[in-house]
Amino acid sequence: MYRFISLSILLLGMLTATSCYAADAPQPTQMTEDDLGPAIEQPIEFPHFRHAGDRDKGGMEINCMYCHTYARRSAVAGIPPLQKCIGCHQSIESVRESPRIKKLFEYWDAKKAIPWKKVHDLPDFVRFNHERHIERFIMQQNRPFQEVCGYCHGNVKEMKVARRQKLLSMGWCVTCHQKDHLVRVADGKAIGTQAYWYSMHKPPVDASGIVKAKGPNDCSVCHK
Amino acid sequence: MMNSGFDRRDFLKVLGWGGATVALSGCGNGSVEDGKETVVSYVEAKDYVIPSISVYFNSTCAQCDAGCSITGRIREGRVLKLEGNPDSAINRGKTCGLGQAGVQHHYNPDRVREPLLRTGDKGEAISWDKAYALIAEKLNGVQGEEIAFLSGGVSGHLKVLLGNYLESLGSRNHYVYEAIAPAVLRAANQKSYGAEMPRFSINKAKVVLSFGADFLGSWISPVHFSQQYAQFRKGVDGQRGVLVQVESKMTLTGANADRWLPVRPGTEGILALGIINALGTASGDIAAAVKDYDKQRVSKDTGVSAEQIDKIAALLKARTPSLVLVGGAAEGYAHGSQNAAAINLLNHVLGNVGKTIGVPVSVPFPQMSPATGNTAALQALNNSLAAGKYKVLFSYAANPVFTAPTVMKFKDNLAKVGFKVVFAHYLDETALQADLVLPLDSALEDWGTQVPEYLAEGAQINIQQPLMEKLHENTRGMGDILLALVKQRRADAYKDFDDYYAYLRNALLQNKDALGGSGVDDDYFWNDTLSKGIVKLAGATGNLSGTASAVGLTLPPPAAADTQYPLQLIPSINASLRDGRHTNQPWLQESPDPLTTIVWDSWVEIHPKKAAELGIVEGDIVEVTGKNGSIKVQAYLFPGIHPDAISIPLGRGHEAMGRYAKGYGVNPFQILDAVFDKETGELAMHETRVKVSTTGQRVIVIKDEGPVGGKQMGRKIAVRVPSNKIDLSKEI
Repeated sequence: MYRFISLSILLLGMLTATSCYAADAPQPTQMTEDDLGPAIEQPIEFPHFRHAGDRDKGGMEINCMYCHTYARRSAVAGIPPLQKCIGCHQSIESVRESPRIKKLFEYWDAKKAIPWKKVHDLPDFVRFNHERHIERFIMQQNRPFQEVCGYCHGNVKEMKVARRQKLLSMGWCVTCHQKDHLVRVADGKAIGTQAYWYSMHKPPVDASGIVKAKGPNDCSVCHK
Repeated sequence: MMNSGFDRRDFLKVLGWGGATVALSGCGNGSVEDGKETVVSYVEAKDYVIPSISVYFNSTCAQCDAGCSITGRIREGRVLKLEGNPDSAINRGKTCGLGQAGVQHHYNPDRVREPLLRTGDKGEAISWDKAYALIAEKLNGVQGEEIAFLSGGVSGHLKVLLGNYLESLGSRNHYVYEAIAPAVLRAANQKSYGAEMPRFSINKAKVVLSFGADFLGSWISPVHFSQQYAQFRKGVDGQRGVLVQVESKMTLTGANADRWLPVRPGTEGILALGIINALGTASGDIAAAVKDYDKQRVSKDTGVSAEQIDKIAALLKARTPSLVLVGGAAEGYAHGSQNAAAINLLNHVLGNVGKTIGVPVSVPFPQMSPATGNTAALQALNNSLAAGKYKVLFSYAANPVFTAPTVMKFKDNLAKVGFKVVFAHYLDETALQADLVLPLDSALEDWGTQVPEYLAEGAQINIQQPLMEKLHENTRGMGDILLALVKQRRADAYKDFDDYYAYLRNALLQNKDALGGSGVDDDYFWNDTLSKGIVKLAGATGNLSGTASAVGLTLPPPAAADTQYPLQLIPSINASLRDGRHTNQPWLQESPDPLTTIVWDSWVEIHPKKAAELGIVEGDIVEVTGKNGSIKVQAYLFPGIHPDAISIPLGRGHEAMGRYAKGYGVNPFQILDAVFDKETGELAMHETRVKVSTTGQRVIVIKDEGPVGGKQMGRKIAVRVPSNKIDLSKEI
């Protein structure tokens, strides 16, 4: 009797398997560096190029972290509260009547959150920490923020609605974690307070005193 | 219960095949939801609200009456975890398993979400306006004495408001009912020490002799006493404390004791007098009262050997101070008060009063001090209901239809009330009998103040505040409901308070000076109070005035053998499930009973020798029959019980209360005899005698305990002894 039950469950499992292949279940995408994510329709077509873009191209060069303020404080970057948009736009009369801004104020007047769609998502078993990466590359190494954010998010300052630019797969993460990153500059001064030799042996020191180390490669750093 | 046939091995095999085939399908990447999942941002966000970063708010645990202060972790506006608040002297940053499960009370899918009005067998959702109007209409023309209010233990401003409401109705019928409460102990303590709840210092004692007080599990303030116990074990003056537990059914505390003495049920008082006799230090009327309790007689009556009595007496003499505690196991008889008095007398004789039994502190606002529940209230209410005295009944935080013995016919008597309003979180057995069910906010959504009955150090008022927004739009706080109801009667007196929050704030600010906020700005004081979650204040201390006297102490001889019902039924109290009000929190169902490791079901504990006599093995479905009904339950052979007793845990066996409670286990409250303590009128929970018979059915008992003894990683960690060879009363 129980053999029949096991057989039927086996068959059911196989059926599920094939139907999963047949249906448009999300499949792991090909490992190319410039793999674009799906184009996503958002409730408001937020023009990133207008806000973050270069001045000579009509942008305002606003720092990413002015709006995405949680990125440097928390694991997740978060979406700015509606209050943030209104904070500026209530005193920008010139675009007050444009369709997008009218829609924005409709949400605000109704005190309703804008139902943005996720553009960048990782599987639930991955913990990517924005704060740590910003601390390392913007605060400690003093690199330009648009470059640092752009490692993963692409050239957002030229986009309208943001679209995923990179694969965000584990292999893709590891390519960067395997590179040698600066830990001590030429005069031997450490960058930041954290020790950066994560592998079993100390990283080599070159003649000028520069020390470079790879990013962390412990499983548990990302898979908690 | 799982009927055998389809065994675990087959189950795993099937699961493995099914799982493997699903895994092959490649659906594993489905958690990435670019472009599909909505990411909702805040409209307006406070500065401290940062996604993925937790914020913490202090409140008070409402899972039992001990009044532990808690700190809730809140992330993205949702409460995720409760921990103890270190500032409280009661729990010092710790919580118990019951407290941890508080989030499951809040997120429970079976909460009542709308006011429900009975139409036939169904509840029709109505608006709050209509519900209030209906109450006003039903109260119209009803005399005050025809209205009754049944509640669990209440304290703080809720008690004040409730009192005011009843006063406005002209009713004095407030019944405070708790199915499991140390009410006999309170009365006995009042007589022995002049205080209902003196302060017990387990940590100062060098010997603790506990007569069934499960202070590590469920007795009065278990988190507090567990911490005292840890200090007690570390020792005073380098002497590690020795714990001796006397009880007929082993509790968690008994399992931790150095010596566990199974005593014949009901003879705890006799043993206490026997120990006084063996000590030989008593004089006057006490000596006269105990002179007949010589070792041979006591040993014969209680089943504790004369040698053990000598050992205990020697231990108590050698190590002072000691502490003797009275627990539910000694209270639960028709002579429970006498038992408790005899045991308290031991403290007097040993000179513990004033040393390990100290003066209690109380909050200097008597109107806020707790109205403690008991079972005498249930009997009084039941008698009045039977006489048809009440036209309107309110019920809050009590579930008497579940916890009253069937023989009391509470459900039938309840039906005689014209209009029954039940304030409920869930549709429990009592709510199902209501004409109007009013849905309450969870304890993590509501405002309140609470004064614990047992104050550990100084006086304190606990603050209860919402840890997150309400989950359901149409639930209301109990305080808000009472305020709305009292406004129906006295609109003018309460017109300044829009809601219970305003009432509370005003009440605390009015007494700012007494609450340690003199000279402080109102807003600052209020915010400070909320952030701390506790108001510590100078308490009023009383005196211990009781005298050592054996006057009026008469203990009945042990119950004669009963051929029809040979066994004593001990309804045991599980530290998580207690009286069954939280049975619908699946973590509590899932956490194994500390002694038997059984989950999600009831069981009856039978001594292996008795089981062999009756031909019962583990997993047999047995029928436990008393004078007032029978229940069928799986047998578990347990050496930690007196051979003349059996034990069934309370809390399970719900016929309602949602998906996690309904239909799991049996309810021993049902078959209890209506025997009451002669002095206090409390229900004598241990006075039911039963017989056990097999039904021929057998199941596999679902438990954590291993099938072949303690093996871990291939290494044997404990030698398994056949359970009928274990003598737990032997010294460890």
